Amino acid sequence: MEPLIRVEGLCKDYRLVDRREGVSGGLKDLVRPRRRLLRAVDDVSFTIEPGEMVGYIGANGAGKSTTIKMLTGILTPSAGTVEVGGLVPWRQRQQYTRHIGVVFGQRTQLWWDLAVVESFRLLKKIYEVDDATYERQMALFDELLETGKLLSQPVRKLSLGQRMRCDLAAALLHRPRVLFLDEPTIGLDVVAKENIRGFLRDIRQRDGVTVILTTHDLGDIEQLCRRVIIIDQGRVHFDGELADLRRRVGQTVSLSVELREPAGSDELAAATGALPVAWEAASGLRHVARFNRAEVRAAEVIRLVVNDRQVQDLHLAEQPIEHVVREIYRQAAAGGGA
Amino acid sequence: MSAGTIGPGALLAPWRRTPLATLGLYGHFVRLAFLKFLAYRLRYYTGVVSYTVFVAGHYYLYLALYAGRAAEGLPAQIGGLTVREMVTYVAVSWIGRSLYFNNISRDLARMVTEGEIAMHLIKPFHLQSVMMAEAVGEAGFRLLMFTLPIMVVVAPLFGVGAPVDAAALGWTLVSFTLSLVIYSQLGFLVGCLAFVMKNIQGVLRAQMVGMDFLTGVIVPFTFFPGWFQSVVAWLPFQCIGYVPVMIYLGKRQGADLAQGLLLQVGWALVLGVAARLVWRRATRRLTVQGG
Ligand SMILES: Nc1ncnc2c1ncn2[C@@H]1O[C@H](COP(=O)(O)OP(=O)(O)OP(=O)(O)O)[C@@H](O)[C@H]1O
Ligand SMILES: [Mg+2]
Repeated sequence: MEPLIRVEGLCKDYRLVDRREGVSGGLKDLVRPRRRLLRAVDDVSFTIEPGEMVGYIGANGAGKSTTIKMLTGILTPSAGTVEVGGLVPWRQRQQYTRHIGVVFGQRTQLWWDLAVVESFRLLKKIYEVDDATYERQMALFDELLETGKLLSQPVRKLSLGQRMRCDLAAALLHRPRVLFLDEPTIGLDVVAKENIRGFLRDIRQRDGVTVILTTHDLGDIEQLCRRVIIIDQGRVHFDGELADLRRRVGQTVSLSVELREPAGSDELAAATGALPVAWEAASGLRHVARFNRAEVRAAEVIRLVVNDRQVQDLHLAEQPIEHVVREIYRQAAAGGGA
Repeated sequence: MSAGTIGPGALLAPWRRTPLATLGLYGHFVRLAFLKFLAYRLRYYTGVVSYTVFVAGHYYLYLALYAGRAAEGLPAQIGGLTVREMVTYVAVSWIGRSLYFNNISRDLARMVTEGEIAMHLIKPFHLQSVMMAEAVGEAGFRLLMFTLPIMVVVAPLFGVGAPVDAAALGWTLVSFTLSLVIYSQLGFLVGCLAFVMKNIQGVLRAQMVGMDFLTGVIVPFTFFPGWFQSVVAWLPFQCIGYVPVMIYLGKRQGADLAQGLLLQVGWALVLGVAARLVWRRATRRLTVQGG
């Protein structure tokens, strides 16, 4: 399939002024400011196909929002190209924005002084949504996000979660082809997060919308995205399937074993013999084996342990994605990287 | 409704708003702004009082000034205006100001410094046109709920002179409408300074004071020396206050009237185009705060 989004060699430099201390410093700043360029996004390239839902993650200040701002046409890149469906976002702004939906979790796109429904009516005009589609979309939003009872309220009186639901609905009213979400679950409680994730899954199935999502909540990624792009200090450090990511970092599975009688970890290690499994004593009769799924089958490890020892309980767990990503960040910081 | 699947080559469909739809959209912004200000109308009741006080202040000042001249046996005109005309000048220019005044520069500057501008750039409309539409909606509200009450209070209170004829009144209204356009485009340009200046508050304050001075609201230009008047003639400000008031007073008639109005149209166009260019350039090199 043809990619919908093509990003090539994308860079963004911010101009910074380093301030000097004290009065004399302040005066020097006035006369000759110390300027410096900060490369927030550094040679980023990727393509995204129609209908994909991609997680764009990275630590604070990695350059996620900056990338999203260039993809949505808010910022002009310092270098590189972006093309979405044949359009250049910052050049053909009016044309382009007709086809995209954007949510910045940190701000609202609704009109602050208006009742929510007035914002929707205005959006209907702005995007030229016909009456039938408008009614259908509003019914859908009410069903999935329960926006119906919020409509008559002014935006400034909504809670964060309510506002986020309305913002999502506002971004999707005109059935955009591409949806950009910059931290859409920030500050929300567990239930609200679940609702929004469910909504995004639904809407994607219904409309086949292409989604790019940034988040610090890896639960979002695990539940929504097959593909992740990890950036660190503006550079892409990983681009691939979530499963690949786990494999790359290794030791993605942990098997927790509770024995009937005490034993040393070394004895268990002896039992699993030649297999690349790392054993570690947990608490009391508990031991944890970590291994890479790609190299070792869990069933094999379990068989060897059960043959060797009296086992009371077994528990197999995927390593939480947080650990996987932390490992990638750590590698990146250590100068390893992609 | 077609399913949301992407066509061959994954292209986004070309799209253009028709002129009629464009009119409908910006008309909607006019309406919304009108309603928004209507919701805050209580604030404007105190405004009626303060405008009346401004006019009263000038009124007594000029009465004293003219009386002083009469006592010294000097001619009963200053800068070509009689005391009656002077009072009318003051009242009409403040009444006009109550119509064309708005806060576009402050609002735009705030949007830029707080990064809210981003939320407008992701929408398929032109912010300059949206803000102009809102200025029109605000002016509609002001006319009904602010300017008319001020007129009703001020005109009888200070014995404001009637316009020379019905045509002069009509042209004055046209002229003040052009003032609104010029004032708003100028405000948009000043607001755009926030793209390059870290602290624009000083500029905004200077604009507040300087504008009323340079438009001739505070003191009529005829008071000033010739060189000052010829400098001001080259600036857009006189087209906001001085020109429409002179039309009202019947000091601009025939070719002079046409020239005044054309000058206003010219400045409206020049500033509108300039604002568009500045906006385009600024948004191309914009960096957005926050997020
Ligand atoms: N307007 C700006 N002016 C100067 N520097 C900026 C600006 N916006 C962002 N930066 C810098 O660019 C880098 C990337 O910022 P960005 O907001 O893209 O990060 P992020 O990945 O979205 O982080 P977070 O997870 O904290 O939202 C940071 O070092 C930040 O300080
Ligand atoms: Mg961010």
